[in-house]
Amino acid sequence: MDFSLTEEERQTRDWVRTFVQREIQPLEQQALRRERAGEPGVTTEEFAALRSKARHSGFWGIQTPEEYGGMGLSAVMTALIEVELGRSFVPFRFGGSADNILFHANEDQQKQYLVPTIEGERISCFAITEPGAGSDATAIKTTARKDGSDWIIKGEKTFITGGNEADFSMVFAITDPDKGVQGGVTCFLVDRDMGWKSEYIDTMGEWGPAALIFDDVRVPDRNVLGEVGEGFTLAMQWIGRGRYLLPARALGACERLVEMAIEHARNRVTFGEPIAERQAIQWMIADSAVEIEALRWLALSAAWQVDRGLDSRQAQSMAKLFGGVKANEIVDRMMQIHGGMGYTRELPIERWYRELRLLRIYEGTDEIQRRTIARNLLKGHVSVRGALG
Amino acid sequence: MNIVVLMKQVPDTYAERKLQAGDNTLDRDASDAVINEIDEYAIEEGLLLKEAHGGEVTILTMGPDRATESIRKALSMGADKGVHVLDDALHGSCAITTAKVLAKALGTVEYDLVIAGSEATDSRLSIVPALVSEALGVAQLSGARKVTVDGSTVTIERTTDTGFDRVEGAVPAVVSVVEKINEPRYPSFKGIMAAKSKPVTTLSLSDLGLSPDEVGLVASTTTVESYEEAPPRAAGTIVKDEGNGGAAIAEYLASRKLI
Ligand SMILES: Cc1cc2nc3c(=O)[nH]c(=O)nc-3n(C[C@H](O)[C@H](O)[C@H](O)COP(=O)(O)OP(=O)(O)OC[C@H]3O[C@@H](n4cnc5c(N)ncnc54)[C@H](O)[C@@H]3O)c2cc1C
Ligand SMILES: Cc1cc2nc3c(=O)[nH]c(=O)nc-3n(C[C@H](O)[C@H](O)[C@H](O)COP(=O)(O)OP(=O)(O)OC[C@H]3O[C@@H](n4cnc5c(N)ncnc54)[C@H](O)[C@@H]3O)c2cc1C
Repeated sequence: MDFSLTEEERQTRDWVRTFVQREIQPLEQQALRRERAGEPGVTTEEFAALRSKARHSGFWGIQTPEEYGGMGLSAVMTALIEVELGRSFVPFRFGGSADNILFHANEDQQKQYLVPTIEGERISCFAITEPGAGSDATAIKTTARKDGSDWIIKGEKTFITGGNEADFSMVFAITDPDKGVQGGVTCFLVDRDMGWKSEYIDTMGEWGPAALIFDDVRVPDRNVLGEVGEGFTLAMQWIGRGRYLLPARALGACERLVEMAIEHARNRVTFGEPIAERQAIQWMIADSAVEIEALRWLALSAAWQVDRGLDSRQAQSMAKLFGGVKANEIVDRMMQIHGGMGYTRELPIERWYRELRLLRIYEGTDEIQRRTIARNLLKGHVSVRGALG
Repeated sequence: MNIVVLMKQVPDTYAERKLQAGDNTLDRDASDAVINEIDEYAIEEGLLLKEAHGGEVTILTMGPDRATESIRKALSMGADKGVHVLDDALHGSCAITTAKVLAKALGTVEYDLVIAGSEATDSRLSIVPALVSEALGVAQLSGARKVTVDGSTVTIERTTDTGFDRVEGAVPAVVSVVEKINEPRYPSFKGIMAAKSKPVTTLSLSDLGLSPDEVGLVASTTTVESYEEAPPRAAGTIVKDEGNGGAAIAEYLASRKLI
């Protein structure tokens, strides 16, 4: 069993590490200041400039196939990159990517939606969740009824990431109530100027998703993505597109938090000794380091299974669950080590504390991951012996 | 025009650096190793000159096994090939020996210009480029913030306190550069992929016609006798301005022999 990186993998990872150190981390103090003043930490223009700088060196479209101008990197490489990006709370992502299901678009739709999304000229959002359908996505109520060669969409979506900025949405609606999710849900590409509205939802984090209102929005038949009735399969594909990447990003944050806490523990003196000398502090550091290491290999093994074309769903659910739970425990401990300073908005710890909490809720809550993991085992789909059998 | 860039791998300046018990040399395994920062500027200048005049850029380094990582990084920035002087006997070499070895290694490649950084961040002697030019018997143009080559003449601008000196020399020459000179590029992803297939020659002492007793700790002209950890930073002094602030600060600086 070889856990090492190839020379290219290391250099690629180190490139991102250097980029984060030189280009992104220097923005952090300013981002915190601006956020304290209620402004966006990094502006859209600043992000665009960073993305174009990275593109200049060929870092563009990390997982986008090469025929679309991307790098077409493996899942393992993408996870390694995600860890590096996670080492800053600044929510930077490389440009040049699009939602996986947009690659199912037909030729016209590719020109109109996929290619401009990759280029960053258009912004998409993925809308399945509704006020009455979260964990249970089969409970969606939004409908699309046929009217001549058009469809009329009616319903409300909620908690849609990017929904405030998007100029088109991938909306999932019921087209055949009798069939329901078994062939009765269809995905539509709906431009904002076809008539949907968005409302910002304020959250615990530094950003918020949107509620999308579809009040009889007319959509031409040519805007059906994939086949009529096949929407639920697409939705599951979108959700399964890279669940291992969420904990990978959180892992980067945890590494940075532990490093900050080590530094602080060495320097902070109480009762005549650095707190680093105290067992209570050491145990928090030790437990966190062990969990970080476990998370690293859980996420990377899930990614490795993706690259091998194995059924990685169990591994991905495990990584997502463990990552969400442990990242939250770790940020809590690292705040504890920092004492009062950790609670202030001078340091990014409380920001991470708020941001990491989401990981236990979206893209499948902890409970839903556990449900999936247990059911896979109980039904005998997978063995507790894992990928190696 | 063929250019050789002298590149040193050093411990990451962000990391804590330690000396090894026993021989008081730098513990190079204790922290991440990176390209000496100024050497990235030297590499960039080499690449810019190659883009303007054609030719090849060769990276020359003397250092332990893991220095190959830094050579690969330089190759991914666009350099064409690498030469790595690698030999266990080199451990603990002083600046004079380092320069002697580098000069010998330069004898194995063709070059019109040797470009170095002006200082390595680990031992900060700022002397290797001068020693190398001495050993080669060629001109040294140090502290360049600008380099131009015209035929067989190399001209640099050397920063001074009041402006700059223009210094001219005949090629081949050794030029050392300062950070003002350019902005080093990031390697490109294509460059990273291409670096693997670029040639890196490894040279041992015997390849250079040197024997182990001429180098390393045994031949070192200087030795680190002992060392002490830097004392922890003392609490600062607060000077309260009660109309005499200026004088109080001057007094404080004078007491520290700073003015
Ligand atoms: C910031 C943010 C961004 C989001 N982005 C998007 C997006 O881009 N697109 C999109 O479509 N959706 C998005 N979502 C929605 C997200 O996926 C849902 O919030 C999530 O699936 C949970 O659904 P819910 O909020 O309705 O909670 P519910 O499903 O109502 O769950 C409430 C609680 O009950 C638990 N629970 C539910 N069912 C079970 C069960 N069977 N057994 C045990 N416990 C159970 C849950 O774990 C949870 O603790 C986003 C959400 C947030 C907060
Ligand atoms: C902890 C420690 C212990 C040491 N012990 C001893 C000792 O016992 N005796 C002793 O005499 N010296 C010792 N040295 C000095 C050591 O040998 C120097 O690192 C070496 O001589 C180079 O000098 P410099 O790093 O100051 O380079 P500088 O002169 O500051 O470097 C300038 C430029 O020269 C080039 N260059 C320098 N070194 C190399 C290289 N190896 N390969 C390629 N290019 C290079 C680079 O372009 C660099 O930017 C020690 C140094 C340290 C940090």
